[in-house]
Amino acid sequence: MEYAVETFSLTKIFSDWWGREIVRAVDDLNLRVRYNEVFGLLGPNGSGKTTTLKMLLGLLYPTKGKAIVLGGDGANPKISAKIGFLPEESYLYRYLNARETLDFYGRLFALPHKVRKMRIEALLDMVGLKAVANRPVGTFSKGMARRIGLAQALINDPDLLILDEPTTGLDPIGTRQIKDLILKLVERGKTILLCSHLLADVEDVCDRIAILYGGKIQAQGRVRDLLQQTDKKQITTGSISDTTVQRIKQLIQNEQADCVVTSPMDKLETFFIRTVAAAQQQAQPTSGAVSTTQIGAFLTPKTLTESILDKLVSARVSQEPRPEPPTEQVHPVETSQTKPDEQLLSKLTKPAEPAQPKPVVKNGKAKTKPVKTETPRPAEQTKKSILDQLTGRSTPQNEDEDSDSKVN
Amino acid sequence: MHSIWAVATNTIKQALRMKVALVFIILLVVLLPLMGASMTGDGTLKGRLQTFVSYGLSLTSLLLCLLTIIISIYSLTSDIEQRQIYTVLTKPIRRFQLLLGKLLGVILLDVALLALFSAIIYTITIYTPRYFGVSQAELTRLKTKYNQASEAEQLGLEDEIFELEDELYQLNNEFLTARASLIPPEADVTHEVIDIYEELEKTGQLPPGASRKKIIAELTSRKKLEKQAAAVGEDLIWEFNNVKPLDPDQSLFIRFKYDVSVNPPDLHVYSSWLIGDVRQFESGIEIETPIYTFDRKDLIRTFHEIEVPADAVAQDGYLAVGFFNVPLNDTVVIFPLNVGLEVLYKADTFTANFLRAVCLILLRLIFLACLGILASTFLSFPVAVLLSLCVFFTATISGFLVESFDFLSENLSALYSYTLRPVITLLPQFDKFDPAKFLVPARLLSWSLLAKVTGLMICIKASLLLLLALLVFSFREIAKIII
Ligand SMILES: Nc1ncnc2c1ncn2[C@@H]1O[C@H](COP(=O)(O)OP(=O)(O)OP(=O)(O)O)[C@@H](O)[C@H]1O
Ligand SMILES: [Mg+2]
Repeated sequence: MEYAVETFSLTKIFSDWWGREIVRAVDDLNLRVRYNEVFGLLGPNGSGKTTTLKMLLGLLYPTKGKAIVLGGDGANPKISAKIGFLPEESYLYRYLNARETLDFYGRLFALPHKVRKMRIEALLDMVGLKAVANRPVGTFSKGMARRIGLAQALINDPDLLILDEPTTGLDPIGTRQIKDLILKLVERGKTILLCSHLLADVEDVCDRIAILYGGKIQAQGRVRDLLQQTDKKQITTGSISDTTVQRIKQLIQNEQADCVVTSPMDKLETFFIRTVAAAQQQAQPTSGAVSTTQIGAFLTPKTLTESILDKLVSARVSQEPRPEPPTEQVHPVETSQTKPDEQLLSKLTKPAEPAQPKPVVKNGKAKTKPVKTETPRPAEQTKKSILDQLTGRSTPQNEDEDSDSKVN
Repeated sequence: MHSIWAVATNTIKQALRMKVALVFIILLVVLLPLMGASMTGDGTLKGRLQTFVSYGLSLTSLLLCLLTIIISIYSLTSDIEQRQIYTVLTKPIRRFQLLLGKLLGVILLDVALLALFSAIIYTITIYTPRYFGVSQAELTRLKTKYNQASEAEQLGLEDEIFELEDELYQLNNEFLTARASLIPPEADVTHEVIDIYEELEKTGQLPPGASRKKIIAELTSRKKLEKQAAAVGEDLIWEFNNVKPLDPDQSLFIRFKYDVSVNPPDLHVYSSWLIGDVRQFESGIEIETPIYTFDRKDLIRTFHEIEVPADAVAQDGYLAVGFFNVPLNDTVVIFPLNVGLEVLYKADTFTANFLRAVCLILLRLIFLACLGILASTFLSFPVAVLLSLCVFFTATISGFLVESFDFLSENLSALYSYTLRPVITLLPQFDKFDPAKFLVPARLLSWSLLAKVTGLMICIKASLLLLLALLVFSFREIAKIII
């Protein structure tokens, strides 16, 4: 199981009623996505990106070739329990509200009631829809629906996240957040396969990309390798005097190289985020994705956003000492030698297991009870623990792979 | 199981929140009490209740059938068309679990709605007599009043009491009960018919142009009718075994209808009846069970009932019914086949019978839900609805269809028996197991019959449909769009 996703001359031909070929949507595709990387699938409209993803997930059957996802068939429940999928558009049940939607998907994963509730609240918080969580999703704007779609894809704390154009319809803040999230998730050892046209986004997050055209791979490789202009260098400085600039220019000219000096522009994204953050601080009304101070808190101060995401994804990885380690963070997996019964323990802590809270008793190491909201403690800490709950468990096996890939 | 349950609850939410179910619920909640208030039937209280129960149940059944068809089809086709199924099927759920979840949701909704509406119908049926003052309490009140009243008043009260007793009696014995019915076994006439046929053939009297089969059928029915006919001065005897009344203090009812060869001037037939264990006459032993005799005068071509104390039945469940065509008449008296004569006796309560009748409707709904699910695995919403409606209506009139095809000419019926007939027999027979058919004449719908229908309609036919649906769906390419 070297690759998270591997396809072998995957081909999809759409034929008409008579069996005549009309579209060759994917043609002899050999895709290899390694564990713990962000892989971007690019290509113009109709180049076969979505078709490929659908074949990986068993929504379409390949005409020829085959696809292996996480070492098996993507349609197999055992495998799909470890996959999160965000389709091209957010196809949601219009009559369910946001919370019910997530609850429905959580139940398909057989998450126990408590875990489900915690994750739903954490996810709603994360995607900034807590204030509108009781509105039918049919009334949501495109971007709001997209956010629910994303939350839905994360509810099972997937090992492999398949995102089809994750940023369409999202505002720049949402886009930024998704990008941050992707990076944090990768830090956590997850694998991400995404499709997009927005090259800027892809450039920011992807380790490797493949460009499709006409169902065929035209170019493939590490983003840095593909894009780096090795014959150029860029120097960024703080504000310096004109004389210094002149001296630098002189130095460069001595080396016979060209030199351009400008004041760098803010990226429009950064500017936008700053502006909205300011408006948020003045508490201007909106009925969009952010409408209460609480959610404002999630979006407005950049630092807090960061901190939530940090907690969300870095719970396991971070080495910082924790005052009261929640039970799921039974650390053994992080030590290199895994004893057999510890492995059993971490299996027990896997989200799908109904006996989730039990390890507390069996463990004997963690003397504290799992952090519950009833126990009075600073709000921040509670939130942290919820988020830990959300992402803080993955199979020991995965952890091993993480470390493997890091060694590589 | 958890995923099946999740899908089921989601399906119910969909049906309720998309207001599909709401339309039907409101319609029924308004219509049922309205029907209870406005339907008068033939004027008697019994007639009024019979019409109400019959129409109420039929309407409930019809609307719930439509609802079931629509919801079961909409639930899956909308998922496919609006593509929510992409996010559902990529979760750890098997395709058959999705289908079973949808089915379970529809059935649960049906059970809930059926329970609600049948409870309304039942309540109205039970309380209407009280509303009209036809009750045991009212009778007792009248009787005490009678006892205290002066002689002049008593005369008026007497009539009133009499009328009330009559109505109560009719209600309790002919409607608010469940009566088992015994029909005399048909006489075996094959040999006689073949003899006659050969006789005719020999003498060359066979009608030209008719096939042997047709002539035999004609002769058979004529012969059978002959066995049910009595000329003036003749008698007929029917023998029944296995008569098991609920308790011997109650009554048996002999229900009959006359046909005549010549209409009597006043359209009435005089008769003399003998009911009991007639074997006691022959063996000359001491008579243990009573034998009852009746002399009657009855209108022709309408149903009548003779009430006989149930102790007329012998220990071993034997009962004979004898009819004598008295010389006062001037005509042959014929008891039509199948419906001419039957013995009825109380075998269960109205409530239990009503419950089973409602179960009969539920079976229908389950079948239709399976059908809808099957149709939606490979058809779009409108086409699937159309197909299911066709099946529904065909099943509703299947008895009529089969009968009418039997009258087709020879060549056509051969064609029919190889094409349409198997299809129709594959469908369930909704009309044959119509709940109103049992409740209106207060006929017993036995557990064994219910079990039989369940076995046939659900265990065989519906599960076949479901199996087919699972098969089709598990091979279907979900994301392939077919236009
Ligand atoms: N069900 C179908 N029947 C016929 N052709 C199809 C079907 N689905 C997709 N195609 C065709 O396959 C090709 C690839 O489609 P696909 O949806 O994979 O493109 P894409 O790369 O995702 O494009 P976009 O960027 O617009 O989302 C297109 O030419 C499309 O028309
Ligand atoms: Mg696409």
